[in-house]
Amino acid sequence: MDANFETENGVLNSQLKQYRLSLAEYEKIVQVLGRAPKGVEWALFSALWSEHCSYKSSRLHLRKFKYRNDQVLQSMGENAGVIDLGKGERIAFKMESHNHPSFIEPYQGAATGVGGILRDIFTMGARPIALANYLCFGDEKSAKQISLVDGVVRGISGYGNCVGVPTVTGQVEFHSSYKQNILVNALALGLFRPNDPILTSQAKGVGNWVVYVGAKTGRDGIHGASMASEAFGDNAQSKKPTIQIGDPFYEKLLIESCLEVMAQGLVVSIQDMGAAGLTSSCFEMAAKGGVGIKLELDRVPLRDRTLTPEDILLSESQERMLLICEPHRFAKLKGVFERWGLDAVVIGEVVSGRDVDLWWRGESICKIDPRPLVDGAPVYDRSYEPWRVKSRVAQAKLTVLPETDPEKILLNLLQSPLGGSRKWVYRQYDQRVGAKTVRDASESVAVLRLPDSGRALGLVLGCRPHLMRFDAAEGGKDALLYPALELAAKGFQPLAATDCLNFGNPEKKEIMSEFVATVDNLAQTAEVLETPIISGNVSFYNETQGKNITSTPATGVVGLREQVNGIPLSVFSRAGDEVLLLRAPMLLISGLRAEPNAQNTLAATESSILGYGTLSLKRARGLIDCVRQLTQDDLVTASRVVGKFGLAYALARMSLGGIGARVRVGEDRTLFGEWLYEVVLAVPAAMLNRVQATIRSRAEDDLLLEHLGSTGGVDLEIMGRLRLPIKSLRQNYEAVNLHGPTRE
Amino acid sequence: MNKTIGVTRFPGTNCDFDVFEAIQSLDLTPKWLWYGDHFSFSDVTAVIIPGGFSYGDYLRCGALAAKTPVMNSVREFAQRGLPVLGICNGFQILCESQLLPGTLLPNRDSRFIDQWVELKLVNGCRRFGPESKGVSVRLPVAHGDGRFYMDADGQKRIEDRGQVWWSYQEDINGSIGQIAGVMNENKNVAGLMPHPERAMTSWMGGTDGKSFFTSLF
Repeated sequence: MDANFETENGVLNSQLKQYRLSLAEYEKIVQVLGRAPKGVEWALFSALWSEHCSYKSSRLHLRKFKYRNDQVLQSMGENAGVIDLGKGERIAFKMESHNHPSFIEPYQGAATGVGGILRDIFTMGARPIALANYLCFGDEKSAKQISLVDGVVRGISGYGNCVGVPTVTGQVEFHSSYKQNILVNALALGLFRPNDPILTSQAKGVGNWVVYVGAKTGRDGIHGASMASEAFGDNAQSKKPTIQIGDPFYEKLLIESCLEVMAQGLVVSIQDMGAAGLTSSCFEMAAKGGVGIKLELDRVPLRDRTLTPEDILLSESQERMLLICEPHRFAKLKGVFERWGLDAVVIGEVVSGRDVDLWWRGESICKIDPRPLVDGAPVYDRSYEPWRVKSRVAQAKLTVLPETDPEKILLNLLQSPLGGSRKWVYRQYDQRVGAKTVRDASESVAVLRLPDSGRALGLVLGCRPHLMRFDAAEGGKDALLYPALELAAKGFQPLAATDCLNFGNPEKKEIMSEFVATVDNLAQTAEVLETPIISGNVSFYNETQGKNITSTPATGVVGLREQVNGIPLSVFSRAGDEVLLLRAPMLLISGLRAEPNAQNTLAATESSILGYGTLSLKRARGLIDCVRQLTQDDLVTASRVVGKFGLAYALARMSLGGIGARVRVGEDRTLFGEWLYEVVLAVPAAMLNRVQATIRSRAEDDLLLEHLGSTGGVDLEIMGRLRLPIKSLRQNYEAVNLHGPTRE
Repeated sequence: MNKTIGVTRFPGTNCDFDVFEAIQSLDLTPKWLWYGDHFSFSDVTAVIIPGGFSYGDYLRCGALAAKTPVMNSVREFAQRGLPVLGICNGFQILCESQLLPGTLLPNRDSRFIDQWVELKLVNGCRRFGPESKGVSVRLPVAHGDGRFYMDADGQKRIEDRGQVWWSYQEDINGSIGQIAGVMNENKNVAGLMPHPERAMTSWMGGTDGKSFFTSLF
């Protein structure tokens, strides 16, 4: 081998390493361009062909989310999905991950996760009215984990509260698999009122101006997209410079000013600068609009004058938008932004042809067709195995863990961070700003009132990692079925869903197999429930030193109800009501226990998840419809889906409002195993006949109804098994607090 | 009588629409007062400064808003004895504007608090809210910097002069004397940490907030 070749090869290898591209990808780039990439082209391909931007490992499978109905106005492809609620009201919503940055710097990582997802919503013209977040942490009782929890919660609180969007619900999980890869998924939901336009990101109109609005561009977040597309080695902290810094005050100004210019019809199209910054927004706008764009990079407002064109193209500085404006409307548009203290700068124009032409100091430095970058990324069919029941982590016969001291088991569950109150988290979030909140984060379903029609919008998150650890197929079904059942228990019709698919390294067959099984089952469930998945994202490479997270397909499901009145509570609200258990038992899960005094773990021990059975989508749908019929007919005063710690835990949670219950269950019935699915309903005695008649009339749903007892008193009593005063249930439940050290 | 209530808007105010709509829901007329403008006193009967994060809470909560043109007008408006109510960040702005005594520090545990609280009326305000001493109301709070503070002499002075308006039934944030709201000596300017505009209808969880707006008329 001659010396020259070796050097060239060495240079190429170091280029590929720097830009996180594979040799095969390099060869594809050479094929697309007809020559080797040069200059900033390296950086462009690195960013736009990253897993984060291109979905190259998942795209093939995401096509399975194809179920749509008439209500869907926008889905994958735009910044967020939009559905029509009728009566002129429409909502946009989406969930997105910010896992990698949040592990490196929890406060800013979580804060900018909130900021980014909010921009996806108001970019479309919807005013953000709700936030939610799905968080997973390690279960180690260490200063590191506590500081991650504390930093993430403070970051969400600091950003969401300031920007004035209520955080109305959330989910927090703890498990050892998240120790080195925490999950921070943020959902935002926005409302279009009857006369609000829906904006898109398609650049249009040759001669129109490209306008930059918002914060100046700095050095933060350069190469963030490709960073988020890699596993962590032992050097996660060295990635700190790739983290963005958020400014919620600036975001608030952007929300108000952007919504104002949109309402006045001054904007042709608009896109936020998110992952891969100016590059992805400009290239996507041109590619989607089928036009060319000429950009003069030296006109971009900078915080730091030493930035190179490559830095400018890839900076992920927050709170920036790119919009297209007709030249004659620019003065008016600029006036609105100035009134809000923001500067709008023309940095380019829409041109004929299809190329993006980047200029720097009077010279064109790169002229390239954006389509291969945006749509031409490689699509990988990563290897996987078809899912079989034998892929389950653990299989069991129809047995559960021993339940010899149920009172102690229950109190331990209530005071563990897994089973205890989340008040220490959600009281740090403003849940009511905007004055639409009907039910806050203390309830199982968050409810907002739609201001024009007076109808109720329900929002709930899904995915229960313990089920994913049992079986990715069943866990995938449950990620939509469980939230849909929770909505139904409050009288809501599920409408649509978003998802955030958090997985490990897709290049590993076992991870990819779980991914495919999850996607297949989510897609089928969406179709059976007639609840389309209209937006979302995929976060792969949640892996550190070879250890992968529990596959975690977080979901957010939205539902609608005609009135805000009469929504059943999640606690018993009246003494003397009948306590019923409506059942469609298909799958039994056992194995979760809490050891609150364990030395090194925060939470529950999960010996190993035992499971028996398989979920039938059809039967689950029947239960969901039946529960909704009962709750919509105002027959139910309180309702709760029996969750991961079983019936006794569900009844305990329902007693926390101060009204207890006295119930009887079969002697051999498990108190702490979870039957999927069961719903506890409290109904006034006078309604009992009507409830029974409704269930009889739906015989084809194959549901079982058990009359457990009645509400009342100051104890929870399960006859012959346990009897505990509500006071002690409450003391245990509210004792949980994972606050970090107090800063005065 | 002119039933128009001025509602200030600063960059970063985020309870502006909530207060605006609360006023409308009671068949009164809200009118925006933009931070960069002065306003004519004949246009409004009262001024409400809503909560939020004016100027992102930079420097100190309320400090930058206190230096704006609209607050010059509010100062003069207040000096004429006309009614001014500050809610949450509005309360902080009034303290920074020297229209109310004391200051609001970060909560004792340094964390933001969102919850419903019970309040007790210590002294009635002539303009805003219920008047009979000892009455209690239930309203939500949502603040990171709600710990009311004055030195002991200052606290004695406002107590002696009947300037303590509301107190928390339970110590939620470390405020001296569990103070949730205060008034100026003349009792035409009042500040309150809890949010009456978030307690206007039963679906919000309570209706005790209404009287803070209707009592003006």
